[in-house]
Amino acid sequence: MPDPLLQISDLNVAFETARGLIRPVRDVSLSIYPGQTVAVVGESGCGKSVTAMSILRLLPSPPSKVLSGSIMFAGRDLVTVPENQMQKIRGKEIAMIFQEPMTSLNPVYSIGDQIAEAVVLHQHVGSREGLRIAEQSLRDVGIADAHRRLREYPHEMSGGMRQRIMIAMALSCKPKLLIADEPTTALDVTIQAQILELLRKVQQQTGMSIMLITHDLGVVAENADVVAVMYASRIVETATVEELFDRPQHPYTQGLFRSIPKFGVTSKRLETIPGTVPNPTKFPPGCKFHTRCDRLNGDPLCSTVEPLLREVSPGHWASCHHAEHFAESPVTVPQLQHKREDYIPLATEVQA
Amino acid sequence: MSNFAATPADAGTDVQFPTSNVDVPLPWLAQVWKQSISQRAARFGLAWISVVAFCAIFAPLLANSFPIAIKMNGRWSSPFLHQLTATDVTLPILTLLCGILCFVRRIGFLSKIYTMLIATVIVGSLAFIFIRPPNTPRETYRLLERAGRLQSVVRTPIPYTFDDRLYDQFSADHPHPWAPSHDHWMGTEKFGADITSQMIYACRIAMAIGFISTGISVLIGIVFGGLMGYFVGIVDLLGMRVIEIVGAIPTIYLLLIFVAAFPDYRSIYLIMAIIGLTSWTGDARFVRAEFLKLRNQEFVHAAIAAGLPLRSVLFKHLLPNALAPLLVSASFGIAGAILSESTLSFLGLGIPVGDASWGALLNEAVSAGGGFIWWLATYPGLAIFLTVLSYNFIGEAVRDALDPKLRERS
Repeated sequence: MPDPLLQISDLNVAFETARGLIRPVRDVSLSIYPGQTVAVVGESGCGKSVTAMSILRLLPSPPSKVLSGSIMFAGRDLVTVPENQMQKIRGKEIAMIFQEPMTSLNPVYSIGDQIAEAVVLHQHVGSREGLRIAEQSLRDVGIADAHRRLREYPHEMSGGMRQRIMIAMALSCKPKLLIADEPTTALDVTIQAQILELLRKVQQQTGMSIMLITHDLGVVAENADVVAVMYASRIVETATVEELFDRPQHPYTQGLFRSIPKFGVTSKRLETIPGTVPNPTKFPPGCKFHTRCDRLNGDPLCSTVEPLLREVSPGHWASCHHAEHFAESPVTVPQLQHKREDYIPLATEVQA
Repeated sequence: MSNFAATPADAGTDVQFPTSNVDVPLPWLAQVWKQSISQRAARFGLAWISVVAFCAIFAPLLANSFPIAIKMNGRWSSPFLHQLTATDVTLPILTLLCGILCFVRRIGFLSKIYTMLIATVIVGSLAFIFIRPPNTPRETYRLLERAGRLQSVVRTPIPYTFDDRLYDQFSADHPHPWAPSHDHWMGTEKFGADITSQMIYACRIAMAIGFISTGISVLIGIVFGGLMGYFVGIVDLLGMRVIEIVGAIPTIYLLLIFVAAFPDYRSIYLIMAIIGLTSWTGDARFVRAEFLKLRNQEFVHAAIAAGLPLRSVLFKHLLPNALAPLLVSASFGIAGAILSESTLSFLGLGIPVGDASWGALLNEAVSAGGGFIWWLATYPGLAIFLTVLSYNFIGEAVRDALDPKLRERS
């Protein structure tokens, strides 16, 4: 079994605020293998973006602080590498695209200048060569008339175009890992599909890994190989995408699936998970989900002992006292080297 | 789901985005420029500043005791060229360079500024080392002309240098200062120098004091405020205290004390430095506020995530976006600096005696002979008033253009 490209082990991140210590990431372990797409799913504030930001150390410090854990990437621990090395990893080996394409490009520089700046920095080429590479990467993400676009400014582009440009910028240095923090949330559905397909196409061509952060299970179903579900700063369930969609074990995951509208089924109201996400300054004791859980509610075990991730069946980790075989399962670090093969073919392939 | 998605290549060609259309908004700074210049007051301000700048740059061509060209003993020569000082040479060269750089498109804005700064230092120091005009008496060519030695003379519009004290025209019956006349449009001052000429050369001090002291304060403000706004926390806390302390120092009194305590070191550059070193707090506050606002924008995160070094994040990505409010503060700062210098010169503590300055002329309006000399008060006073007003107009127009609430109304 090859080593994972990225191995997060027992990561704990805290924010020191006036109201006390907030811990948006607790004991998170996650591995990403080369060429894999790992989706991190969860509702707003569950800690998925913070996990992603801590990989690149983008969180402002103070107030944020890594309490414990390690993030191994290509033999280095990203939690402890010095800042000057981190700068060489950012953009060159790990790139990131953000949720809001309207604000993630600098309004005062032309597209070409913005892409070329990082290219010149990381690939040690001259500015003319940098612009040429920028033009090529614009073409790679399907932007027509790339040469002219180089000299245009972000405000001249639509949201979908900007997100393509962000992807072009992220891919221009050929990173090994791309962190996509809700890359399609701010886009409308057709553009969303185009962007996701673009990501998948690029992945096929370059073999990079993608960490896909989203709250859209449809996006997960289509793109991910492995899924990690986060709730209240912990990973509550992780499995391959097929396994998770077929046999969700954690009541939160099950609730998420129930709240997706089903095609052909008419119901008056969409099902929801009752209650709200607990306030991160005062999480309930025991299982963080027990206040909203519909499974065997009132079990004293749930409200006193916090369940840890256990491998309830081969390749399927869940943290619920009432998951099948939970009590006798071992506590292990989830590692899933899975690459699905049943992709819906790319539209380009269908045409061909 | 992916079946209805067009291929990326198709999408790029199908969806055409308007580019040369009127609907496309201008870049933000261009919008601000257009907004502010559309105001009548700002146009007036800009026009007056241009006049002052023109006088400052081409002063020796406008007012000079030495003719541009003479024909003596059948040979043409140019005494004017031999008499140019280092400043006279440096200013037009830099203006020319600035003009050329404005039209060069291939170089980025920041590199243009760096080029300008480096050129200023090089040209300035070369000029000051190599150009040493001979100390020819100012009236030489007037005397030659009167003696009929010159076959033809081409003079500048005002044929007097600012320090030409008209020794050849001295008469005990009609002592200086002279009232405005056909020969001396704005009269002369108590030593006999032509005031029109002094007014023109004083533009240099006015421009220099405004730009250099504001330049110093903006530079300190950017670095100080930028670091505070970006690093927040303890840096911000300590920085804010320093700002409060420096902000409590009254500039004009510090200048007075300094000039009174070290009369031997009195120089215009010292005044510029003191004004610059005490008035940066407002700029620092502006930059800090902008950086605080911008540092959580996603393009800043994206810049960091792209592995760009701190220097680039701070000065290439944050600073240009924070520049606009600084422009407002700077234009008011220039006006303030000009007023400070005029005040000092009026009190007789400003620039060294012999240099031309509007404030110094004002000073003479009351001190010479005890009486009040109207032409020594009116012209420099008007010039100071118009210049300060112009900078304030410009600053206000830029501020209005930046204010989205006002923009909607217009």
